[in-house]
Amino acid sequence: MNILEVHNLKKYFATQKAVDDISLEIPKGSIFGLLGPNGAGKTTLIRMITGIFYPDAGDIILKGKKFDPENDAKYIGYMPEERGLYKKMKIGEQALYLAQLKGLSRSDAMSKIRDWFKRFEMESWWNKKVEDLSKGMGQKLQFVITVLHEPDLIILDEPFSGLDPVNSNLIKDEIYRLAQNGATIIFSTHRMEQVEEICDKIVLVNKGKKILDGSVQSVKQDFKENLFGIQLENIPDAINSNVFETIKTNKQELIVKIKEGYKPNDVLGYFINQGVNIVSFKEMLPSLNEIFIRLVEGTPTARQFQKMES
Amino acid sequence: MKKILLIIKREYLTRVRKRTFIIGTILFPVLYLALIFGTGYIADKSKQDFNVAIIDKSGYFTDTLIAKANRADTANKLSLIQIPEEAFKKEFDSLGYNGYVVIPQNASWKTGLDSLSFNTHNTYGIGATAPLEAKLNRMWSDIKNDSLGIDTLKKRILAKSNISLKINNEKNRAADAGSATIIGYVCGFLMYLILLLYGSQVMMGVTEEKTNRIAEVVVSSVKPFQLMLGKIIGIGMVALTQFLIWVSFVFLIYNVGKFSGHDAGAMANAVGNIQKVFTSVHIFLVVGCFIFYLLAGFFFYSSLYAAIGSAINEDMREAQSLSFPITMLIIFSIALMTPAITNPSSPVAVWASIIPFSSPIVMMARIPFGVPNTVPYWQLGLSMILLIGGFMFTTWFAARIYRTGILMYGKKPSWKEMIKWAFRK
Repeated sequence: MNILEVHNLKKYFATQKAVDDISLEIPKGSIFGLLGPNGAGKTTLIRMITGIFYPDAGDIILKGKKFDPENDAKYIGYMPEERGLYKKMKIGEQALYLAQLKGLSRSDAMSKIRDWFKRFEMESWWNKKVEDLSKGMGQKLQFVITVLHEPDLIILDEPFSGLDPVNSNLIKDEIYRLAQNGATIIFSTHRMEQVEEICDKIVLVNKGKKILDGSVQSVKQDFKENLFGIQLENIPDAINSNVFETIKTNKQELIVKIKEGYKPNDVLGYFINQGVNIVSFKEMLPSLNEIFIRLVEGTPTARQFQKMES
Repeated sequence: MKKILLIIKREYLTRVRKRTFIIGTILFPVLYLALIFGTGYIADKSKQDFNVAIIDKSGYFTDTLIAKANRADTANKLSLIQIPEEAFKKEFDSLGYNGYVVIPQNASWKTGLDSLSFNTHNTYGIGATAPLEAKLNRMWSDIKNDSLGIDTLKKRILAKSNISLKINNEKNRAADAGSATIIGYVCGFLMYLILLLYGSQVMMGVTEEKTNRIAEVVVSSVKPFQLMLGKIIGIGMVALTQFLIWVSFVFLIYNVGKFSGHDAGAMANAVGNIQKVFTSVHIFLVVGCFIFYLLAGFFFYSSLYAAIGSAINEDMREAQSLSFPITMLIIFSIALMTPAITNPSSPVAVWASIIPFSSPIVMMARIPFGVPNTVPYWQLGLSMILLIGGFMFTTWFAARIYRTGILMYGKKPSWKEMIKWAFRK
């Protein structure tokens, strides 16, 4: 079952088509990566999903029903890229206020805040102000505030920026735990190594359009270039085969590209015939980073302003 | 609705609990009184006495006459000088005179003296030399009286020739223009200060939420309109709280003073004055209307300030340049208040108190003069209805700018762009 479906969503601004006909489906309980270069339209897309912006066209279906920003706010937890909290307000009161705005009752909010503050070892923060916190501490607080009301859909925009490895892992573990408990997480970033590690499914947007959609594994398969790494005991001086071509030679390893119509067995057969001892053989899948760069490259790094007709 | 209440509560409590609010509430009346008495004191202290020489070529101004005038009025010392004008001109400074007046030879008590010169080395304001002028005039009229043979008795009879015209409103015997003027000024200025101070608080509050990026977190739970309205109402309640505290101060001082007897000198005097003001003006009407115009006027202006607050970024100079037209409207209203108090029934006063932008200040300056005599019911009603309509329009208009501005970073928009945001679908 899909928790969120977006059909042909459009949002045009005065100078740009920020989101131009994007459709996507997010299964319940998945960790979903929303990727794209700066200015691709990610934030605008998220703002429509969170009800901050109204789409110009298209539908948003949340939990099988048409999205109603006013009443569905409680199902969504959103942590924007730019962190925002009241600097002068006490942390406990702030968490309580924001949780109540999400529709929690006072006592309910209170007990949830206590649980989370305990889990994140933040109990001593209650009467402190946000301005007293370090950047990383603020990040933790923002995360707690985002997930406090136990939303079904959690949208995190660059959740790890500014966090040290220890706190990054803490949040990462929480993300897994929340997903296991049935929450769906949309994870917007351009840090590909995190996406590869965490996400089940990704969508890549660029210039307001979706250019890639699928699971991490299938995307990698789609973009593989038949590259293999072979570790050999000693690399022969001359390799001459019509089965593959050598792309790169490291100390003990060859990176080879298998030509069309041939199989990995043909490569192995070649070396066996040559009497070379094979230590290891593995397929080299492209990293998401490479796919990302390949897809986005060639388009201008910054979005250009377009003339709009309206 | 529940969410708006939460926002109102937060806005209200965070402000009322601040130390600056408590200090401001107590200190403002003290400073306000200090300002009034302080300027009076300084004006009194800065009065200047002149030491003036009279060079009389006509022979009217005698030593006895001048001595008599100096006895009657010690403020500006006059002395008759026998030194010729040419010589005296060069040395009056060193002789300790501020200046000299020459009575021309052809002066005659029958034709009169139109104009004399006070020759000095400094330039003085008209106000500074007015007592000197009055003193010379009294002497001149004494000279004329003597020449006409009018003695002291006749003079006393003549002196009582002034008629003072008092206003007696047949319909409203208690009306007292003096008290009404004072209350009118106090109400108008108080309104002006509250609109300006709390209006800019709304603006800064909105900008703070925008630059802290908390706005994006909050508008994912509530509509931008609810956030804006909550802030405006919350801060409006703070303004109202402050006003009600001040009003209860006045009532408290009044009642304590009244029951503590009349032996307290200045206190009794003050209580007497307040009592006079209270009996001459329908005080509950004034306070009631003040609360209405305070809230309605506040909503009118603060929603515009909120719109500006949403459009600007961190730079406070942007705030100043964009809010200038709004601030000008408030300042223009206070400028209209003075003629409205001088003549509360003039067309300027009537229209300025009906048109929404100036009505909170100008109407509050007129109301102490009496409802329904000076301000007929239809004017009060029309003014209130238009102001309600006015703030509904500004709130609607502001909300449309606000929802775009609050999430827009980067370049400061112009008024033209902001109006475009407001009127697009």
